[in-house]
Amino acid sequence: MGLQSCIGGTTLQTLKLASIPTLSSSRLVSRPVQLKALTLDFFLLSRHGRSRRSPFPLLARALSAPAIAFQTETPPEEKGNAVLKPQWKAAIDFKWIRENKEAVAVNIRNRNSNANLEAVIELYDKMSDLQKEVERLRGERNAVANKMKGKLEPSERQRLIEEGKNLKEGLVTLEEDLLKLTDELQQEAQCIPNMTHPDVPIGGEDCSVIRKKVGSPPQFSFQIKDHLQLGKELDLFDFDAAAEVLSLFNLSGSKFYYLKNEAVMLEMGLINWTLSEVMKKGFIPLTTPEIVRSSVVEKCGFQPRGANTQVYSIEGSDQCLIGTAEIPVGGIHMDSILAESLLPLKYAAFSHCFRTEAGAAGAATRGLYRVHQFSKVEMFVLCKPEESDLYHEELIKIEEDLFSSLGLHYKTLDMASGDLGAPAYRKFDVEAWMPGLERFGEISSASNCTDYQSRRLGIRYRPSEPSSASPKKGKANLAPPRFVHTLNATACAVPRMIVCLLENYQQEDGSVTIPEPLRPFMGGLEIIAPKSR
Amino acid sequence: MKGKLEPSERQRLIEEGKNLKEGLATLEEDLLKLTDELQQEAQGIPNMTHPDVPIGGEDCSVIRKKVGSPPQFGFQIKDHLQLGKELDLFDFDAAAEVSGSKFYYLKNEAVMLEMGLINWTLSEVMKKGFIPLTTPEIVRSSVVEKCGFQPRGANTQVYSIEGSDQCLIGTAEIPVGGIHMDSILAESLLPLKYAAFSHCFRTEAGAAGAATRGLYRVHQFSKVEMFVLCRPEESDLYHEELIKIEEDLFSSLGLHYKTLDMASGDLGAPAYRKFDVEAWMPGLERFGEISSASNCTDYQSRRLGIRYRPSEPSSASPKKGKANLAPPRFVHTLNATACAVPRMIVCLLENYQQEDGSVTIPEPLRPFMGGLEIIAPKSR
Repeated sequence: MGLQSCIGGTTLQTLKLASIPTLSSSRLVSRPVQLKALTLDFFLLSRHGRSRRSPFPLLARALSAPAIAFQTETPPEEKGNAVLKPQWKAAIDFKWIRENKEAVAVNIRNRNSNANLEAVIELYDKMSDLQKEVERLRGERNAVANKMKGKLEPSERQRLIEEGKNLKEGLVTLEEDLLKLTDELQQEAQCIPNMTHPDVPIGGEDCSVIRKKVGSPPQFSFQIKDHLQLGKELDLFDFDAAAEVLSLFNLSGSKFYYLKNEAVMLEMGLINWTLSEVMKKGFIPLTTPEIVRSSVVEKCGFQPRGANTQVYSIEGSDQCLIGTAEIPVGGIHMDSILAESLLPLKYAAFSHCFRTEAGAAGAATRGLYRVHQFSKVEMFVLCKPEESDLYHEELIKIEEDLFSSLGLHYKTLDMASGDLGAPAYRKFDVEAWMPGLERFGEISSASNCTDYQSRRLGIRYRPSEPSSASPKKGKANLAPPRFVHTLNATACAVPRMIVCLLENYQQEDGSVTIPEPLRPFMGGLEIIAPKSR
Repeated sequence: MKGKLEPSERQRLIEEGKNLKEGLATLEEDLLKLTDELQQEAQGIPNMTHPDVPIGGEDCSVIRKKVGSPPQFGFQIKDHLQLGKELDLFDFDAAAEVSGSKFYYLKNEAVMLEMGLINWTLSEVMKKGFIPLTTPEIVRSSVVEKCGFQPRGANTQVYSIEGSDQCLIGTAEIPVGGIHMDSILAESLLPLKYAAFSHCFRTEAGAAGAATRGLYRVHQFSKVEMFVLCRPEESDLYHEELIKIEEDLFSSLGLHYKTLDMASGDLGAPAYRKFDVEAWMPGLERFGEISSASNCTDYQSRRLGIRYRPSEPSSASPKKGKANLAPPRFVHTLNATACAVPRMIVCLLENYQQEDGSVTIPEPLRPFMGGLEIIAPKSR
């Protein structure tokens, strides 16, 4: 077995956790496979006799394309000093909105959005008229300038100079107005939510439809505990100390925590296993900055400065903490035109995530279920528009396979129109059974954002189809760039997974069994047992 | 005033009582003010210094130990930035757009290297009895101060969260130090040895120049930090244990390094004694700090309020009640870097580069990277 050839001889016994009773060496020596603690088993493939060539065959394809043309556009210099000036512009297709205003209006209603479609169309029309006027004036000014080049009578010249001056002043005013209109239009138009997939159920949260249901709730013949109690008895987390360190008076409601002992191994095991699994599917592993500019947060469709914002801001700067790796990954190809051969670009990003959870309170937020900081592996895909539905299906399949491997009982929901975030064209949520909470809890979310984010982040690709005519030199034959579609999906949100695993795999004696797939990533650990005192 | 009094006598006493009360209020206010002033000044006093610490500036630091020698290369070597670019391991440019300079994405094998380093390090120090932890990375600024840092000073290293008294941690030393704040621990619990994995955030305000290129100085990085709470008489011992653990880790990875006993002018205020390890970084053509081990004695514990109850029985026969309990004493705290990932990546890439542009993975890390032995250039 390829696996064994790379494993050292260290037995689990040497993994002495401070308060865990020593495992007897004889029990382990008899086992054929002795795994070093916290082995990262990325290449289970090697077990099937695959030769040790490049571990990233799929990467080779992504990288063999011509280099990415980074077209970094510097933001236009903002004249004047407008407080509400947006710092960036979304490339919104106003013409399309106007031509499809009925559908857009219905969509806004279905999503309970506050967007003001009438205002957008009105502003757009005004702006178009103003633009025509500006162009007309510019044309006249150029005509005057041309006339001045020839031989002229002094009086004629003087008259033209006057005319030129008036035109110039008029233009300046109009151009200022145009800028203001453009900004207003942007502000209104950015509120318009993404369109909606035709199969999405219309309505509120309760209209979401179950696409798939896997497994069934485990039957316990004893009084079960919730993850908080299990964690306390197994010395796996500490919320109280965290509450002190953060001086929150409601100790049981504290949303910060320390993980300890096997819970740390569980977190590392979950992350490593998840990364390993999605890398096999061709995802490029990444770690990302967790501090980003607030404009990037906005371009992804979040509101860093809104009331009840989920976003932490850094004092004295325009930076924020990320709530999900979707944001820094979305930013990687900002303002770029990608070669078509690079698509699809599939990233699996590991990061810590920070959320204020402002406005979230109550029993459903006890323990690890809702916290301010957590580790997550996020999948992010950039693809051609015609392929996004396909990759949405692929992403949800990957998630379902991961959760099935861990033996979880879960259901996949097609979220209703009222429950989609503004960026999502369609969203699948997976809710897993959490026996201690006695209900299903969301463990992942997979969204197809079509071109909502890419129009804001400025991510396009150059289609490489040859034109029908014979190939000529020059740009004439290059197809115009199109906006990519982006998708994001949670591969593993660690605290929710820990809740699931602890509550579902608890035993009568208070221990917790580790699901098989995770064991090689936890040094072979099979069970989290109560510590002897 | 409790007894039987003549009305005039009672009146006189009431007057006297009132005057005394007013006088007291004033004096108590003055006392509070003085206490605050005293605290402010006294907190400025640095920790005492171990007698063996060399006195002087940075250049007075003494080499305690030197291990290995610089690798000899038969070809033109590259620095980690160039290696990273050619092997598609990091992206600084995209991060500069998204976040600012000194931010980065790790990609491909660099992610595996980070995970491998962390997992291997945790595994190694757990064998030595350290309790593994992950910690909050947002903490109250008072905890930062109690550990001896200055969150609000000019050129502060600390990021603050807008609209709150919270900060981002620059090291797990802070949230771990905070675990036992304002507590009295049973002596039998000591020594308490934690190995905490966290992301760390530093503004690096005031740090500039070529020495800060690439991964050498960044705003965000992963680190495994060892933190020990022990009895005062044992802290020198644990300081030696911590530096030994660090040296064993770096030797296992085949690094060429030197351990320095830092001079008095180079100790942070909390440190009684500090050992730094500097590893040879061929691409930078110099030694660079990869870890630091400090014995803070009771500097942090006096601020964090961490004490223990000695359990020696009194000489007399045991009696009931508190009379026989020894008074609580402040613990000593120590902290030491087990693994600061970016600096380790610099070391590994630069030291293990091959002529063909690939990088060999040191043996101990391979099982933690799925058996990966080499980071090879991607075929085009």
